[in-house]
Amino acid sequence: MSSYHSLAASGTSASLRSFLERAGLDGQLTVFGGRWYWSLFILVFGAAATFPIYGSVFTALNFTSFLINVPLALGLALLWGYCGVLSFGQVAFFGIGGYAYGVLAINWGLGAATVGAAVCALGLTALAAAAFGYFLFYGRVSAWIIPVLTLVLTLMLETFLGQTAGLEWRIGDAQLGGFNGMTNIPSITVGPFSFDGFSLPLFYLVLALVALTLAGLRMLANSHFGHISMAIQEDQERAELLGYDIRRYQLAIFVIAGLLAGLSGILYASWGNFIQPTSVGLLASTFPVLWVAVSGRRSLTSVAIGTVALSALSDTLAVYSGELAFVAMGAILLFGMMAAPNGMVITLLRGIARLSRARK
Amino acid sequence: MTSDLFNLGYQFLVNISFLMFAAMGLIIVLGMLNIINLAHGEFIMMGAYTATIAVHNGVPFVLAVMLATFAVGIFGAVIERLVIRRFYGNKLNALVATFGLSLIISQGTLLLFGPFLQGIKMPLGGFKVGDYSYASYLLVIAGLAFVVLGALWFLFYRTRLGVDMRATMQNPDMARALGVNTSRIYMFSFALGAALAGLTGALYAPTTTIVPLFGSSFIAPAFITVVIGGGANPLIGALASSSLLALVQTPLSSEFSAFAGRIGLMFAALLMMRFLPDGLSHYIQAAFLNRRRARAEKIR
Amino acid sequence: MSEQEAGSDKESAIRNLEADAMPRTTRRQFLAGSAAGIAAVGTLGFPAIKVRAAENGPVKFGLLEDQSGNFALFGLPKLHATQLAIKEINDGFTLLSGPTGPGGTGKDGAYSELADTLVESGDKGINGRQLELISPDPQSEPRMYQQLTKRLGLEDEVDVIMGAFASANREAMRPVIDQMKKMYWYNNQYEGGVADKYTFCTGAVAEQQIIPAMQYCISKFGKRIYIPAADYNFGQLSAMWTRAMAPLLGGEVVGQEFIPLSVTDFTSTIARIEQAKADWLMMYITGQNHANFYPQANAAGLKRPMGSSINLAQGYEHKRFAAPALAGMNVAVSYMEEIPTPRNQAFVKRFRAMFPDEPYIQQEAHSAYVATHLYAVACRLAKTTEQGAVMEVLESGIGIEAPAGWMFMDPATHHMSQHIRMASCDENHNITFVQEWPSIEPWWTRRLGVNLVKNPEFKQYTPADDPAFKQFI
Repeated sequence: MSSYHSLAASGTSASLRSFLERAGLDGQLTVFGGRWYWSLFILVFGAAATFPIYGSVFTALNFTSFLINVPLALGLALLWGYCGVLSFGQVAFFGIGGYAYGVLAINWGLGAATVGAAVCALGLTALAAAAFGYFLFYGRVSAWIIPVLTLVLTLMLETFLGQTAGLEWRIGDAQLGGFNGMTNIPSITVGPFSFDGFSLPLFYLVLALVALTLAGLRMLANSHFGHISMAIQEDQERAELLGYDIRRYQLAIFVIAGLLAGLSGILYASWGNFIQPTSVGLLASTFPVLWVAVSGRRSLTSVAIGTVALSALSDTLAVYSGELAFVAMGAILLFGMMAAPNGMVITLLRGIARLSRARK
Repeated sequence: MTSDLFNLGYQFLVNISFLMFAAMGLIIVLGMLNIINLAHGEFIMMGAYTATIAVHNGVPFVLAVMLATFAVGIFGAVIERLVIRRFYGNKLNALVATFGLSLIISQGTLLLFGPFLQGIKMPLGGFKVGDYSYASYLLVIAGLAFVVLGALWFLFYRTRLGVDMRATMQNPDMARALGVNTSRIYMFSFALGAALAGLTGALYAPTTTIVPLFGSSFIAPAFITVVIGGGANPLIGALASSSLLALVQTPLSSEFSAFAGRIGLMFAALLMMRFLPDGLSHYIQAAFLNRRRARAEKIR
Repeated sequence: MSEQEAGSDKESAIRNLEADAMPRTTRRQFLAGSAAGIAAVGTLGFPAIKVRAAENGPVKFGLLEDQSGNFALFGLPKLHATQLAIKEINDGFTLLSGPTGPGGTGKDGAYSELADTLVESGDKGINGRQLELISPDPQSEPRMYQQLTKRLGLEDEVDVIMGAFASANREAMRPVIDQMKKMYWYNNQYEGGVADKYTFCTGAVAEQQIIPAMQYCISKFGKRIYIPAADYNFGQLSAMWTRAMAPLLGGEVVGQEFIPLSVTDFTSTIARIEQAKADWLMMYITGQNHANFYPQANAAGLKRPMGSSINLAQGYEHKRFAAPALAGMNVAVSYMEEIPTPRNQAFVKRFRAMFPDEPYIQQEAHSAYVATHLYAVACRLAKTTEQGAVMEVLESGIGIEAPAGWMFMDPATHHMSQHIRMASCDENHNITFVQEWPSIEPWWTRRLGVNLVKNPEFKQYTPADDPAFKQFI
């Protein structure tokens, strides 16, 4: 951990550093930080926000769908990288969020009601995550079983949703729709802005949410709470002997991760006006794990970058390499993991950070 | 009445053997190497492809099954040397790498062999008990599941290699100090897991359609069975958990619907993982040891 | 039926007579509509081109068919069929088309089938512009479909979008399509009910396949029906259709079961079928896992005749499974590679020349092929690829001489009439066609009042919207 610290603290003027550290934006438990990091942070988000002006609107819209994955991935990074709990079932909460939003928004109608629907859907997701998290952590399920338990949860959800094709599966005006999915979900709408997949409001909303999530999770990670959860991940028994109720911390982080997954699900439903059972299926459930593992689970920033990069990569491969897309993706994952076992993005960023330090 | 009972029993055996075959290779790799092999389904698919291509070229089915077992085993050994060995002690990275491997194998198969291979005929025909008709072949598979389990038991507990394997599993450093070539043991274990996957694919090839995603239907049941069985004793675990899950699934799916059976199986799995988190094999072994200890004390 | 059985000598004699009686060009002009006319415009001068100055460069043709993932088995032949049609269009060929179906062309006005319906169009490409295919791989994933539909519409700015196999993926695409107001063709057999101003469906729907299949099986095997169906939308809706139609056709549904798509073991289903003592089975099981039913049922000695609307023609199970797993299967199909008519054999020959390794030319590949040609025909008639004008032509009552037979685009519903054949599979997996309905219309949504020409709408109807189905839901 000390090596993280030295990287973070380098090259930052004292007052800025103390401000960032007091706010928790920088600290021992975030890998990257300092003046360089935050200038780049502002530069990247600034460039992204102005992109529709100098770049193509379509690319911005396309990136919306990649950015939507980021909260889901960041939640898993927090859970896995900072708490040592690997969940293979984060997409279950993605699905719960998306379906809950769909049912509520269809029933409550357009306009401001969609915001209410989104908020309630977040609440329901948090409840579901809390209930399942309680079942997991208060039963003291050992760490290596949790991936499979969460996978079973999401497969159960998929099996259930897949068989709701019958017309009796109707909640108010919303038809669950079975394997074909739930259609005609209204987009989140606030006043004149419709946060759908065709206009820029959703792009800005998602961009802002990603920046906020990233900054917020950094603050959480560097807080007292974050230190304790890191202590739990290093050695559960030691943390417990020091008097911490580790179950409470694990549950809290599990709920936060579930909430973020639900947020992604709601944004996805608003983006595509549609949600379907394959979004909680076996293939979908492996993606967040891949994003986080390939990026480097100890670094939230790397996960955010890696998630967008991998989503964009798989989109590009689908467009330009056709039948070879899966082979290329597989090769990248396989050789990437062999070359950079800690994660490709984090290794790359560390290299850049070291270079910039060496130059000085 | 007896025909109804026979019907339930038959379905029970079919379900058990499916779960056991799906899980056996995976459980050995997990138990021995502490690695979750996400390409396990693709190994199963390769077994099915090898056997099917062999049969189409005039090889008798039994020989084709052996060939598939052997071929996928060799492939497993190669993959262990080239890829898997770099990930010992880092099982989560292995997860990503094997997922990448699975993408390459399944899409590569699509590119090489097209979207499907023509299937092979199910051998042995059927028989009737009461109102119901049955496929004999599925009963043979069920029998084979126990034969394979017995063979593995023999390997683990009655051969020198098995002793080395168990030693490596329990304490690799000590085993190495005592002169066991653990690197070779690891390679052999992974190859054994792959060979069992190949065998599974070859055996189930005649029951289904031969497509690049052949293995995907085995994956989820395999993981569930493995985790419920637990790593303490792979063989007892596989047997106990597949019987228990089949015991839940069979009556539900025959009384209600296949959907009820499916959901029931997963729900039972959730509860068992929650309340028996160390895996069935752990508790069985513990009970067994307790009894032995009690008996020893009585004798004393 | 009788036309088909007529000897080839007689057929060619009729053809000669016809050639004498009618100058070839006029008939073609009549049938092909656009072809000769456009050729004339093209040679006469450039005014037409000047008006639409924006229309230069190739016509961009967007296609989303699965090249990987679960549905690659179905997507690849569709992709290849589209590639074949585009090559033919670019080389200056078209399928015969026009506003009326096959009238009497032979002796005494009797109808006889043409040996081939592919003719020269007098136009290389569409209105002199080559077709350019843009076909990214949606990987069988709904989310990919949404992203790529958007890409085709907004980034590539294609002139038309076709594609999707699974209904789930079509439903993922449609909201995007409707937002972009882009013309979309769904070239697939499906459960029916889509009423969408921008969507044109060239595959067969429930009323075109289920009713003929049931009619044939009830008359041949008896009235007691058992329905094993996949537990998803197609299975549920088709089972509903079967229950609703059974009384009308003199049948009786004695049992039904909905099986999750993930189920691979059918022991208990087979046992329940035995118990129900049905005369025949109406099969709506589908997908890779469900295909296991056939070898398992066959090995178990379950020898019931089977009817279906989806097997053989779509998933070519008779090619994929070792015989006799599919023996006794009877399917109402809109197309199969085995159709013995000369015009189909000519089509198969062209297809196999371009794709010698294609495992099977299935129903959906045929729909995709026909759709691509029909789109080109409509553009030539509209003299533009401008979407509004092309849609107007498609809604004007236009049909095409497909390899399977005559198909007519119904203006009100945007669905096509189909030449339906009853395909029967024997012990050796040979296909014979035992009954034929040369033109079955897509009438169901019309009964619900759908008229997309007058009232544009953007939804999918289900039997729940139809009072006649109330008691069967």
